[in-house]
Amino acid sequence: MNSQAEWQEIERLFHEAIELPIHKRQELLASASGTVRAEVESLLKIDDEAFFTAPPVHLAADLMQRQPSSLSPGERIGSYEIESLISVGGMGEVYRARGPAGTAVALKILRRHLVASPQAMDRFHTEARAASALHHPNIVKVCGSGESSTGLFLAMEWVEGATLRQLIDQGAVEFRAAIDWSAQAARALAAAHAAGILHRDIKPDNVIVGENGVLKILDFGLARLEGPVHLEPNSIGASGTISGTLSGTLLYMSPEIFRGETATSASDVFSLGALVYELCAGRHPFAGDTPLDVYEAIECRVIAAPSTMRAGIAAEIDEFILRMLNRDPAARPSAAECCAVFSRFSART
Amino acid sequence: MNSEGEVTNLLTAWGKGDPNALNELMPLVYNELHRMAQRAWRGLDQGDTLQPTALINEAYLKLAGAENASYQNRCHFFAVACTAMRQILVNHARSRHTGKRGSGQLAVSLDNVQVAVHQEAAEVVALHEALEQLQAIDPRKSKVVEMRYFGGLSIEETAEAMGLSVITVNRDWRLARTWLMREMNGGTS
Repeated sequence: MNSQAEWQEIERLFHEAIELPIHKRQELLASASGTVRAEVESLLKIDDEAFFTAPPVHLAADLMQRQPSSLSPGERIGSYEIESLISVGGMGEVYRARGPAGTAVALKILRRHLVASPQAMDRFHTEARAASALHHPNIVKVCGSGESSTGLFLAMEWVEGATLRQLIDQGAVEFRAAIDWSAQAARALAAAHAAGILHRDIKPDNVIVGENGVLKILDFGLARLEGPVHLEPNSIGASGTISGTLSGTLLYMSPEIFRGETATSASDVFSLGALVYELCAGRHPFAGDTPLDVYEAIECRVIAAPSTMRAGIAAEIDEFILRMLNRDPAARPSAAECCAVFSRFSART
Repeated sequence: MNSEGEVTNLLTAWGKGDPNALNELMPLVYNELHRMAQRAWRGLDQGDTLQPTALINEAYLKLAGAENASYQNRCHFFAVACTAMRQILVNHARSRHTGKRGSGQLAVSLDNVQVAVHQEAAEVVALHEALEQLQAIDPRKSKVVEMRYFGGLSIEETAEAMGLSVITVNRDWRLARTWLMREMNGGTS
């Protein structure tokens, strides 16, 4: 490490050099000793603009909002017995648990701070009731909900399989599978819309493909519990990446939701369109480096036809996917139409 | 609990150069700040931030009392409180980063949000460690970073609390930031 005298010299030269245009810095540093010069040069190369902007309050806040301790295997929540922790997400935690009859369930526990407001609690119960009324082979069944000392919980049928997020991340999805999954997802959406229930957060993380090949959509009607979406400057991390609850959802969000309008069934269709595009083309239609890029892409970028990304996609499929992504909600097909069209495509591929 | 008088006496004693006073002061300030942070931050929505500075000010009024506190004491308090705030934030980042859970279940899948949070927590811990190195070379600069970044103080507030000029704090802050970034990027010194 540098001696005190060296450090003072480094400090003086750094401040002097940083005020100079780059070509004059060499001249200034020429007289300095080797170590001092190397140190100052390496410091001058650093661009510190993006860091140290705000105290990391949200990290501590995030932790303080969580339950003091996670649930351990064997603990009971309502009539469910915890087996293991599956994932930690924006809303809370998901556990694998056993129901009264020994059946496996996925138990979702909502964070305490969400539960703290009476409105959030009411909304949870209303939505849980609505969701449990949905019976469809392509929708993950809600089998119970309630309150315990740890918070609100929701029990769902246990599905052994992988989410579309995991499957997409593993590499290119086979075209046949992409069309088949699109048809199954559209079928689920059509059934829910017919029952008057919106999903509001269709994205690959919320779609699971079982080991038997049956696709199921998770969290129907529950997305709203996470509250309204804000695009705040501090949701953008130091590196320009998105942090916070936005990250997963932003890419699948319809332009009208972005503008703060109310979600409709057409918004769900748009999100499904983005997902179908990604599955078929192997690339996301609105990929961008920053939230603003994504926003701009969703708002106004011309969307390349999926067939330009992957050979062998019929013009008819191209056209249909782009219709789902139409910026005008009224111009999009209904979920029922998506279901019919993808089923037809599926039978042909 | 601790009386106003106790904290004021400790601040005065520390100001007079009694090193033991700081050892007694720190846990009092840490505990009070932590309690207040828990209360304030627990209800925080995504997007809101309640700055540490606000908590530190509040803690000062509570612990030292507004009436009988001298200007000197106030500066000393801010110095202690910013260190305490750093510890609070680093401790939380650390527990977040290592993220071991009671269940012993390690095959925990993380969603995007969690990955971002883990990465940030790792950065905070790395910064804290780099700051310890800087402290060995130049304690004043490390204190400036502690007050600015972890305490959330402005350049002017930092200058006031440390009894430095604004120009000096600006210069210290700039070099310290650059130096720390370099260290965290796997620097060359």
